Amino acid sequence: MRRGAAFASLLDEAFSGLWRARRVTVVSILQISFSLFLVGLFLLAAENLGGVVDTLREETAVTLFLRSGADEASKATVERTALESKLVAAVRRVSAEEARGRFARSFGSLTGAAGTLSGNPFPASIELDLLPGAISSAALRPFLANLAASPAVEEVQFDVDWIRRLRGVVRLVAAAGLATGVFLALGAAFTIANVVRLTILLHRDEIDILRLVGAPEVLIRGPFLLGGVLQGLFGGIVALGLLALAFRGLLFFVSSTENVLLGVFVVRFLSPAICGVLVLGGVLAGLLGGTVASRRGHV
Amino acid sequence: MIEFYRVSKEYHGRRVLKNLSFKVAQGEFVFLTGPSGAGKTTVLKLLYRAEGPGEGQILVNGRNVGAMTPGRVPELRRTMGIVFQDYKLLPSRTVFENVSFVLKFLGVPLAERRRRAYQVLRLVELHHRVNALPEELSGGEQQRVALARALVNEPELLVADEPTGNLDHRLAQEVMRLFSQINVRGTTVLVATHDVNLIRETGRRCLTLDRGGVLEGLVEAALPPQAAWRRDGGVRLPPREGEEH
Repeated sequence: MRRGAAFASLLDEAFSGLWRARRVTVVSILQISFSLFLVGLFLLAAENLGGVVDTLREETAVTLFLRSGADEASKATVERTALESKLVAAVRRVSAEEARGRFARSFGSLTGAAGTLSGNPFPASIELDLLPGAISSAALRPFLANLAASPAVEEVQFDVDWIRRLRGVVRLVAAAGLATGVFLALGAAFTIANVVRLTILLHRDEIDILRLVGAPEVLIRGPFLLGGVLQGLFGGIVALGLLALAFRGLLFFVSSTENVLLGVFVVRFLSPAICGVLVLGGVLAGLLGGTVASRRGHV
Repeated sequence: MIEFYRVSKEYHGRRVLKNLSFKVAQGEFVFLTGPSGAGKTTVLKLLYRAEGPGEGQILVNGRNVGAMTPGRVPELRRTMGIVFQDYKLLPSRTVFENVSFVLKFLGVPLAERRRRAYQVLRLVELHHRVNALPEELSGGEQQRVALARALVNEPELLVADEPTGNLDHRLAQEVMRLFSQINVRGTTVLVATHDVNLIRETGRRCLTLDRGGVLEGLVEAALPPQAAWRRDGGVRLPPREGEEH
């Protein structure tokens, strides 16, 4: 009960301290919000680009177009090789007739044109669904080359390189976001440290008196440390709010524009876990600033 | 309760206390007097470890104050009530907040804080001014708030530095009456003052500091009239032992 009451007192004093230096507190919260907002923008871009990569990967199957005269034994060998590779989840054989049917379903207006051709122009194929993680495996390229060399296979359709490049871009965006985030968070921590120090100066008399009458050190410094944490927390929450507003604005822009490609890239907001990490980042910056400002010798 | 044994203290090469030794028993009411610069405030500061002793040993309730780690000092101070010469009230806080400030930090619930603050404010007859700010109070009232704050944690030892320095004689007597009341309740009281008339009127044991050491222990009966005090460097001092009153 006493500990709970002491903590409530700390919190009360921390809020009063922030309120008394409210102008500086607001500036500090805005700065940490801005820092975290920028970090959030990077994370938002990385999240959506990552989503695009995932979607493309899921939608991309390896297609092995078969030679017209390929015998059944060769086709079976290709299927067995694929399944034994530990890169493939499922193998599906598509006949020439099925391929024509798919074309007809996807491009209805062109069905007539295809019908004018003599015979079936669509080759039979074997489609491979890759296992998760196979796309980044070093074994994928030699595996595809091995399949391409099979006498039953005429052509392998799968461009792994551009997906890898896109994934590299995603990683770069995320890394840039992280680096910017650390840099800006340190700046925010510095601001918070100064705000806390100013609050300490405003409360110098109270601190001296508290010391003289025997208040425990942790209870003297606690409100200032908590003040830093609260600033960081509010900064994180404000940053999230700004990000949500920006995302809504972007969605509105995308829905009102005719550029359909943008719709592929802007699809989802940050996951709850990343939102939590963003707020936690603010709290940690506040904790760092508060700790630096309220360490022994300063208070 | 308090024991100073051969305590010396220097400030920037100037010796303020020299081989100071004295004892104060549990439940005693003792005055510490002497001219300005004699080291009265230094003695009190050494007691609550606002200053570390240069040499010697200081015991408070059997605890060696000089050897205490900084982490143990708050614990020591919580066993004392301290009344400062300049009151040290928080100007932006009400009387109630000033008195209960430390209790709040020690996690005492609000209802209990209110009860204890009311009790001590009633003792100093300021229970009707709980919501007043220090600037709205007279000097005497501020002094009584400082006293209430010192008492609210029910200290074993009450230490006061020139508690009547800024008060007129009537208010000073009133404050001394309060100290006596507190002492009757079992609290050991140590008051540093240069007001010899007040010491005489209160009639308690008196330790006089002179040139860094305790010159003599005086009780009211033995205290010479102020007119008999000698002058030393412009400062009035009690007569030395053996001198005619």
